[in-house]
Amino acid sequence: MRTGVVALALVLLVLAPVRAAHAQFSFDARRFGMGGVSLGRDGNVSRFNPAYRAVKKRSTPNGAPRISIPIPIGLVDFLKQHPLGRLRYDPMFNPDSAGFNPIALMNLITSPPIFYDVKKPPAPTNDVEFTIGKNAFVMDLGEAQVLIPEQEFGLGTTSRVLDIAGPGIAGFHFGVMWFLHYDIGLTLDDSLRRVLKDADSVRANSIYSIRADALGQSGIAPTISYSGRITHGAGGADSSDDGFYLGGAVHYYLGAGYARGQGPAGFVTGTPVFVTTPTPLLDDTVWTSNKAFATGFGGDVGVAWISGPFEVGFGINDIGATLSWSDTKIQRFHYFSVGDSLSTELVANHVPTKTKLPITYVANSAIRMGTGTTVGGDVVNSGRGTVIHVGVEQRYTVFAIRGGVSRDQRKHMQFGFGGGLRFGGLGLDIGFWTHSPALSEKRAMTMATSISIY
Amino acid sequence: MKAFATALLVCVAACGQGRAIFNVDVYSFLQGTGRDTFPYVIPPSLSTTVNTVQKVSLPPGFGSSGVDSVRITSGNVTLVNDSGAGSIGISVYFAGDSAGTYSAPAALTISPTAVSGADTVAVPISGDISAVVDSLFNQSVLWVRIEATGQNSSLTQTAGGTGILTALMIRVVLQDKVF
Repeated sequence: MRTGVVALALVLLVLAPVRAAHAQFSFDARRFGMGGVSLGRDGNVSRFNPAYRAVKKRSTPNGAPRISIPIPIGLVDFLKQHPLGRLRYDPMFNPDSAGFNPIALMNLITSPPIFYDVKKPPAPTNDVEFTIGKNAFVMDLGEAQVLIPEQEFGLGTTSRVLDIAGPGIAGFHFGVMWFLHYDIGLTLDDSLRRVLKDADSVRANSIYSIRADALGQSGIAPTISYSGRITHGAGGADSSDDGFYLGGAVHYYLGAGYARGQGPAGFVTGTPVFVTTPTPLLDDTVWTSNKAFATGFGGDVGVAWISGPFEVGFGINDIGATLSWSDTKIQRFHYFSVGDSLSTELVANHVPTKTKLPITYVANSAIRMGTGTTVGGDVVNSGRGTVIHVGVEQRYTVFAIRGGVSRDQRKHMQFGFGGGLRFGGLGLDIGFWTHSPALSEKRAMTMATSISIY
Repeated sequence: MKAFATALLVCVAACGQGRAIFNVDVYSFLQGTGRDTFPYVIPPSLSTTVNTVQKVSLPPGFGSSGVDSVRITSGNVTLVNDSGAGSIGISVYFAGDSAGTYSAPAALTISPTAVSGADTVAVPISGDISAVVDSLFNQSVLWVRIEATGQNSSLTQTAGGTGILTALMIRVVLQDKVF
């Protein structure tokens, strides 16, 4: 029972507001030190901006290393505290242990201990207090109230599992991509939120529910794309990366399948609250595709301009991407308290429906000043919330100092700072980065160390 | 109630090594049922006993819990004596069923309180009852019996009045393993 409840708790917690993880999952300590901003031309920039596919992959654009190798100090520390031979008995991984804390485990999952945690992610261990009366049920979760989300929470993303450019000519390419989109949103109704977050009493004859809206779809998309350098600098095309770049792609989406569920789940209390059995509430509608090969058109557009030390770009994906599914089944799942039964009602079958892929984008900018200063920033939206990073690096001979700020998907400000040493093609970097893992409002701090090869 | 329980357990699970504290308002289950008052009439030189028994629902999931402590934190009986003189002692019993409360040892005994003439006396009820009743909280239903024992020392006058329960809150502190 405990394991099951813990698993449920973990699922709920993992589904809760997902923080911006880009910087945390980078192995580049420079990026940590600059508040998560990436000065390179790979990763988000080339994923979201087709114009960048025409920019030559020079070894050190904006001083970015070719390879970053993490120094896993955090892993050493973690293994010291959690010996592999004793994981079975380790309270962190053993739900039967009194010391087991699902929040701490989720922090571990969402923040792998590659780097050293200077300030560990908060994992509330406070008392929780319940007041039970004939007509009252109050849950005072104490500090754990911060875990209860105020608004819709969930997770989702649009990814291109495979994006094969294929053969091309004069900047045009014919290829195919495999897209995957999922989005799960959960919203507590006002009464349930008040019970969990404000320690309001459960009231008689009231509805307490979570509203879910989940969509998953996948398919392939034959693509015609173009990326090219429209202008170049005064020294000619090969002298530098200077120029104006343009990119675009038209996708013909072929959906393989989709499913969507929408509706509330919860319970309705009786009178008195703690004497009568609450009635389960479930009234959800589910759409599923009967046949594959939904069709639809959409496109990507991107521009980039590089002029000496200055660089700016903007790319937007899946514009107008609406998939038409020709054959869909719509079912309604409804719980009836009379007879304690769950009914499945076929609302419609073999009917057409439409789904959309969310628009995703990235805007990036960087400038290298003659004084050894590089300033950069980016704005990324991968389908569920916008993340903003701004960072600066100042080099003095072999030394570098860095700083930056970011606003994560939960609109929390985060900070980074760090430094490095570079000797020729080899560098050693250290970066400190605050982040709000799990569901807490409080910040944790991670120290990243990496070796860079330029 | 399972939905409640699941939500409750998830919340407790999220709190790591923290304790789960349950404040059970026993009085709320008695209030308005008539069982929160017990009239007494004690003939001269005799003693008499009146009882009130109540079922209390507890959240499921207590089963594997380790009970740290059980305490009556806030309890009160108001004795409204109409006539005569004597003393009223109060005992509280807990059991898993109604009949069991009559064979269980007293969880808490309050020394007799003297009453005389037309008088109103408040009798506070509080104390640690962990040693007597901790295992009972492993069940989802608990029965409580409140017994008032009156003693009339007068040789001629009958003592009479009403005892009114106005509060009875039990605080149960559990270790983390609620489920």
